[in-house]
This record gives sequence, structure tokens and C-alpha cells, in this order.
Amino acid sequence: MRVLCCLDGTNAEQLGKAVSTMLRGDTLTVGLVYVIDSGPHADIERQRERFLRHPLPPPQRREQMKQAEEASAQEILEEGARFLPGAERLRREGRPEREIVQCAAEWTADLIVLCSRSMLSQVPSLGPKSVGHVARFVLDHAPCPVLLIRPLSSEQLPHSRIV
Amino acid sequence: MFLIFHVPALTKTILISLIALLTLLGIMVRPWKLNEAIIALAGAGLLLILGLITPLDAMTVLINDWNIFFFFLGMMALSALAEAAGLFDWLAAQAARLAGGSSRRLLLNTFLLGSLISMVLSNDATALILTPIVYTLVTRLRLPVLPFLFACTFIADTASFLLPVSNPINIIVLSTFRLDLWTFLRLLLLPSLLVIGINIAAFFLLYRQQLKGRFDAKRLPSATDSIKHKGYFRYTCTVLGLVAIAYVIASATQFPLSLVALAGAGLLLVGALWWKQSTLLDTSRHISWAIFGFIAGMFIVVRAVEDTHLTTQFGQVLLQLSGGSSLGSVIVGTLGAALGTNLINNVPMAVVLTSALHGVQHSAPSVRLGFIAATIFGCDLGPNLTTVGSLATVLWLLILRRRNLDVSGLDYFKVGILVTPFMLVIGAVTIWLLLP
Repeated sequence: MRVLCCLDGTNAEQLGKAVSTMLRGDTLTVGLVYVIDSGPHADIERQRERFLRHPLPPPQRREQMKQAEEASAQEILEEGARFLPGAERLRREGRPEREIVQCAAEWTADLIVLCSRSMLSQVPSLGPKSVGHVARFVLDHAPCPVLLIRPLSSEQLPHSRIV
Repeated sequence: MFLIFHVPALTKTILISLIALLTLLGIMVRPWKLNEAIIALAGAGLLLILGLITPLDAMTVLINDWNIFFFFLGMMALSALAEAAGLFDWLAAQAARLAGGSSRRLLLNTFLLGSLISMVLSNDATALILTPIVYTLVTRLRLPVLPFLFACTFIADTASFLLPVSNPINIIVLSTFRLDLWTFLRLLLLPSLLVIGINIAAFFLLYRQQLKGRFDAKRLPSATDSIKHKGYFRYTCTVLGLVAIAYVIASATQFPLSLVALAGAGLLLVGALWWKQSTLLDTSRHISWAIFGFIAGMFIVVRAVEDTHLTTQFGQVLLQLSGGSSLGSVIVGTLGAALGTNLINNVPMAVVLTSALHGVQHSAPSVRLGFIAATIFGCDLGPNLTTVGSLATVLWLLILRRRNLDVSGLDYFKVGILVTPFMLVIGAVTIWLLLP
């Protein structure tokens, strides 16, 4: 079984725990994917256009940004590998939701494991907004089953009943 | 063409209005992603070809506004040469070091650094140079990027009326309506500090969860690594210190600020050449030459509209809407400018409003001052409402969203629409309270 775990820089431990407790280790091929989000680049480009400049920052700045992104991605993948030793590391660049789906198809994943939201998210762990836009997109478009990891929230239940 | 043939005044007025409207609409929509400068220059060119403005009039308006053109040039050159010294990278590294590993303090320091850079080197430097530096820094520190990226975007505009030099828009308005430094500070310093405070508080509230963590100070880049040449770095700091002092003295004595900016840039360029840190060609690559075409085109178009007395009538309409009261003038001025900057870019909006304010020249001093201060305030802070540029961009982002593509530009919009109206109201009321 080929399991693709989606790292976001905050969830390595959760993914590691989920894979080791829920899936049988001897039949697994685990892949760790981390996507360098291209969204901030688009934001910076829009900002530059507003100030009537060429959308791309100067080459030296772009290189600095790229180096920081690559160093950070490397670190996140290494961190993921500490919780899931022997996993294949996959680094992508683009819009995370699209890249994850694309990567799952190309890597022929049998299962995608991802968290409902970043661990730093301020949204409550239950309720209609508890699934972030990346997880929502992956749930809607994944070419294989998806295992969604969310924090234990049983203390928030039962909901009060409307009489 | 119409210089040769006699054309009724009404036809002339209709044609000029049509061309001006099409130019503004073109800037707003930017068909085929055309550069704004080309659209503005096309509008001006059409007016000249049709003889709706004489070449002499067009030339006169450009020569009269030399201070604005030179200020843009000096401001962009100053920022480019300071960047070549590694000053912005050094300042950002220091801001991170002083945060002592706290994400919250780093956000606060980003706001304070952005305010300082906007105040002395204008909002362009914060938005265009500081933003990618902060992005690189927080990516290395593995902190959530968006709050810091948004902080740079917002503070660039929020802190852009601390001094007349903090935003080129201020120079456009002040070139026509000369406010002495003390009047400027009396009317706009307190509102500026208030809205900066509101901006910071709102961000701390909105991103309180994401800012809970700490960062590992070991990941910080060394501040000294960002200094490319010690001698040139020290020289840059000294020159910028002198420029800051000279700006204040020049504003107080009504000396052209463009000459200070150009002199500072000239001194930095000499230093950069001496220490071989930049060349004239390198510096010129960092200057957006299209801006000059854009402003020149806009000045000519608005000058032609002025001849039709439409801008004066627009000023009269603004005066009527204000009810002739100082509170009305501040509210109408602020709202008009803020909405206008989101429909078209804030540069053309400032040019149009400055021209329209000739129509309120003969009103009571408090009303006139109210309109001038509100125009500066609204044009400077207004872009934060949509931040992504204009309502046209927002609509485009909404379309993308409907195609199931999540765009962080919409997050900007959400924060802007949540925070900016509050800042506009508080700032406008404070300006009104400070009016004589």
C-alpha cells in the first residue's frame, strides 16, 4: 500500500502517529510530500503591480526567497522522516492543494493522509470551518481514499439539542 | 486637429470628458494587461492629436510639476542604493534578533520597522523592498507567512502620512496646496499614530492563535552577513540620517523636497561607485521609468479636463455634499478619496482630487484644510481597503475563487475590508477634531 503523507511544517508528529497506529507497517510504502506554496509570490507580485512596478522582484531577491524556501522545505521533510523513517521524500512547488492531488496521481498513491488544518490554525477543531481549504480541495479531488487527521475533540460533544 | 478647425465648446467638453473617462476606465480595467503608463500616455496623446490641449499647455503643466517627477526619481534611487548597501536586510535581521524568539514581538517589530521605513523612505520602500525580505526571514524561521506579509503591505500605507515624504501622493497634493510642516503634522501626525495603533491591535487580534509560537533564534541569519561592504554601509546610514534631517528642515522651510531626495541619492550613488557596490546602470534598473509616463499622462489628461471647468464643478459638488462644514469636508474628502483609490490607482485619484479641490479654494479655512488633509489621508490609507490593487482585481480574485482556486489575495481583501473602514472613520474624526 502506497501512503502519501502531506506535511505542512506543523503536523509531522500527528502524521507519524496516525500512520504507525492506524496502518500496518510491513505492507506500507510511505511518501512524504511538502509543497512550497507559490501563493505568497503571487501576493508579492500583485503588490508590486499596485506600485506600478514589474511584477517580479529583482533576481537577487528572488534567489534569496528561493533559498529560504528550499532550506525550510528540506528541514520539514527531514523532520517528517524522523517520525516516519525510510519514507520517500517528495518536494513540490505551487498551490499546495493542487500539487498534493497531482502528486498523489503521479506517485500512484493508494491513500493520502493529511491534517484537516494547520496545527497553528485559529479555527475550532469541530464545525463547518474545521476543514481548511487545502484539505477540502484534496477531499474533493483526490484520485484515491483520503485519511483526514483531526484533533481529538470529544470533550466538545455532545452538542446541546434544540428542543 | 481642433486647433485648426473651430469646434463648439460643448463638443470639446464632451470629447475631453470621454477621453478622460476612457483613460480612467482603462487604468481601472487594464485591458490585455496593458501597462497603466501606456494607457495614460495614450489618453494624453489623443488629446494632443485632436488639439483638445495645446502642446504648450501640456509642456507647461509638466514643467510646473517638476518637483513631483524629481521626488519620484530621488525616492526610488535612494531606496535602490540603500538596498544595495544591505540596509533593509540588516534592519530586518535586527528586528528579528530584538524579538527574542517571540513571534508576537517579531510582528510588532515588523510593524515598527515598516513605519520607520515608510516615514523616511516612503511607502514604496516598505511595500516593495521590505516585504520580500520579511518573507525570506519568516520562511527561514518557519513562522506563518501571511500575518507578516500582510503586516508589511498594510503598514506601508498606514504609516504613509507621518511626514510629507512618506508617500509620493502627499507631494502631489502638497505641490498644489502648500501646507507648512507644522500644519501637516498638527492635522495628520496624531491620526497617523492612532491608525498605526489600530492596525497593530487588529492584527494581534486576528492572528492571535498563529502568533502563539516561538521561533528558534539559531535559524536567524547573521545581521553582519547582510552588510555587503562595511564602509558603504556606514556611509549609507550617515547619508540617510542627513537626508531625514534635511527632509524635516526642507518641509519646514517649504524647500523643494525633490531636491533633497535627489541630493541624497546623488551622494549615495557617489559612495556606491567609490566602493564599487552599484553602478549607474544597476541603479537605473531599480527605477520604474513607466511611473513618469503614467504621471505625465495623467497630468495632461487632468489639465485638459480642468479647461472644461468640470473639475471645479466636481469640487463644488464635494463642497455641497460636505454641507460647508468642516466635519462634512473631512468625511466627504476621506470617503471620496478612499473609494476612488480602490476604483483606480491612488496616483490618478490624487491628481483628480487635487485638481477638484481648486473648487473649494474660496471656502472657509477649516473646510479647505479639512478637504486637503482628508484627501491625503484617504488617498494614502484608502488602498488598504482592497490592498490587492483595485476593485477590478478583487472581482477577478472572486471569479478565480468560484473556479475552486483558493487565492490568498482574497485573504488580503478580507482583512482590509474588516480593518480599514474602522481606521478611516477614527482617522477622519481625529482630523476633524484637530482642525482650527
